[in-house]
Amino acid sequence: MNAPVNFMVEINGIEKSVLAQIVDQKFWFRIGNQTFCYDLTELNLGSSARNNKSLSKSPHLVAAPMPGKITKIFVAAGDLIEKTQALLVMEAMKMEYTLKAEIKTSVDKINVKVGDQVALGHLLIELMPEVKS
Amino acid sequence: MMKSIHRVAIANRGEVAVRIIHACEELGLETVLLHSDADMNSRAYRLATKSICIGPAPTAESYLNITANIDAAIAAGADAVHPGFGFLSENADFAHACEKAGLVFIGPSSDSIRLLGDKISFKNLAKNAGLPLLPGYEGDDQTIPTLLAEVEKIGLPVIVKAAAGGGGRGMKLIRNLSEAKELIESAQRESKSAFGSEKIFLEKYLERAKHIEFQIFGDCTGNVKHYFDRECSVQRRHQKIIEEATSPSLTDDLRRQMAEVACTIATIGNYRNAGTVEFLLQDGKFYLLEVNTRLQVEHPVTEEVMGVDLVKLQILTAAEKFVFSSKDVRFPKGHSIECRVYAEDPYKNGMPSTGKIGTQIWPSGPRRRFEYGFESGDTITAHYDPMIAKVIVWDETRARAIQKMIHTLNQSIVFGVHTNIPYLIEILNHAEFQNGSMTTRFIETYFADGISAAAEPTLAPAALYKKFLVSVPSGTLSKSSMESPSPWNSAWRGI
Repeated sequence: MNAPVNFMVEINGIEKSVLAQIVDQKFWFRIGNQTFCYDLTELNLGSSARNNKSLSKSPHLVAAPMPGKITKIFVAAGDLIEKTQALLVMEAMKMEYTLKAEIKTSVDKINVKVGDQVALGHLLIELMPEVKS
Repeated sequence: MMKSIHRVAIANRGEVAVRIIHACEELGLETVLLHSDADMNSRAYRLATKSICIGPAPTAESYLNITANIDAAIAAGADAVHPGFGFLSENADFAHACEKAGLVFIGPSSDSIRLLGDKISFKNLAKNAGLPLLPGYEGDDQTIPTLLAEVEKIGLPVIVKAAAGGGGRGMKLIRNLSEAKELIESAQRESKSAFGSEKIFLEKYLERAKHIEFQIFGDCTGNVKHYFDRECSVQRRHQKIIEEATSPSLTDDLRRQMAEVACTIATIGNYRNAGTVEFLLQDGKFYLLEVNTRLQVEHPVTEEVMGVDLVKLQILTAAEKFVFSSKDVRFPKGHSIECRVYAEDPYKNGMPSTGKIGTQIWPSGPRRRFEYGFESGDTITAHYDPMIAKVIVWDETRARAIQKMIHTLNQSIVFGVHTNIPYLIEILNHAEFQNGSMTTRFIETYFADGISAAAEPTLAPAALYKKFLVSVPSGTLSKSSMESPSPWNSAWRGI
């Protein structure tokens, strides 16, 4: 890992000190009392979108919001589900998180089974896309 | 009979392992860290005199494995074991296994842990002694129909807790009968996974309660005294976030009554070593909650106001070298606050954040304490608790301690993982925290959705990144280098 670097930037005519470091393909920096983190690939593309916002925007694709273990699955392929219905339970860092449906639809495919260890962003459940009436 | 301790095995990890190593070093004792595969890159691993790997990352195969811990402690030539908190610290079987193997367990006897640490036996003990308890159910019949019937009998809201638990794991709050079954089953699963036992109990949930606890200590003759109180009302999902000593909520009269109850229950349980008696306080009435038969995460705030070193006292008591002196009368002085720093994203409702730790800056100053377990280059994994550090401050008054904590956190920096530091600062700035009237529902009431997103930097990140690249001294980007102790002063200044 590289040492952090301290440099000055001018914002609205005032010089401000910035501390910055690259850790695992992410650009971390500190201005004043705030810490920021951006993905290097996004910075190289010139996008200013926050790293975390790049996760799936499609409500029918249920991806792991964190790395962890699948402890319970409540639905099966073909099930009709209501909005906010519990789909599965994940455990990470000893806490349970219940993932719920964001839309009213049916279950297309389940890609995991109980006991699976999954990475961040792993596609867990595919729902049918919401049909707008 | 005096027991002699020369080498202490530490059956724990993270910041508490570091805390125990420091206490041992000051007493001139060697340490052996009993660690999992996943914790070779940690501060405790580097500081311990010796280290032995006891198994792979999953806790059941390492930190919760009694045989592996005992075998490793003996193999390393340790004569005592400090269990820290969490993991096996409140496991009577582990304490008993240590006793049987000829290892001094730094904590109460296995009999005391069984009596007081088992939440159900504790309730029976307190009931028989006429001490104040909450309405609840702690029977042996753990079938779902019985538990559901008891929930109705107690009356909603009802809280489900792991009988072998602590630290908020396996706790669920039932507000509607319709979700009772799902929540009870979920509590049983979490309890099984975290503590190895499915057994749960039910308790009436108080809506406006304050969490108050007393630090008790039994010396090696069995004389139990208390080191006054702490308040830990700021909790999220029943996990403490900010603790302080002493409580801003107690009158002298209440403090005296509660201290007496705390010492009574500990004396009945033949308690030796450090322990905590937890209470709920609502409308001037207090209820015994449980006894934690171990060192507490928030022990530093008591140390700061009482002027004691609880971990050293634990070791000395286990070695049968600590007896309370009748001349040593202590009263709390000033005010101390602890904030738990969790690896999580405060702008994403506390989502766990894992990854490699980059630079950390903990700004030192008078009466500021930083207890951390990981250094630059170490990895925070999803296997364990997300607490990566504790920040503790002391000042003469509560108001000044809050001010000092806000200032200290504002200057603290962690790169590599997101932390709850911005969240902590918002809590400390909240009027209800500042006037001391917060209850255990404080977080739920005011911070249910976490905190709103941070302001975007005033300069586009891509532009900042370009400035960063030209500021990096040539050649350093490609080679790995250690963290400089004070990057603010020594790093190259560009532009």
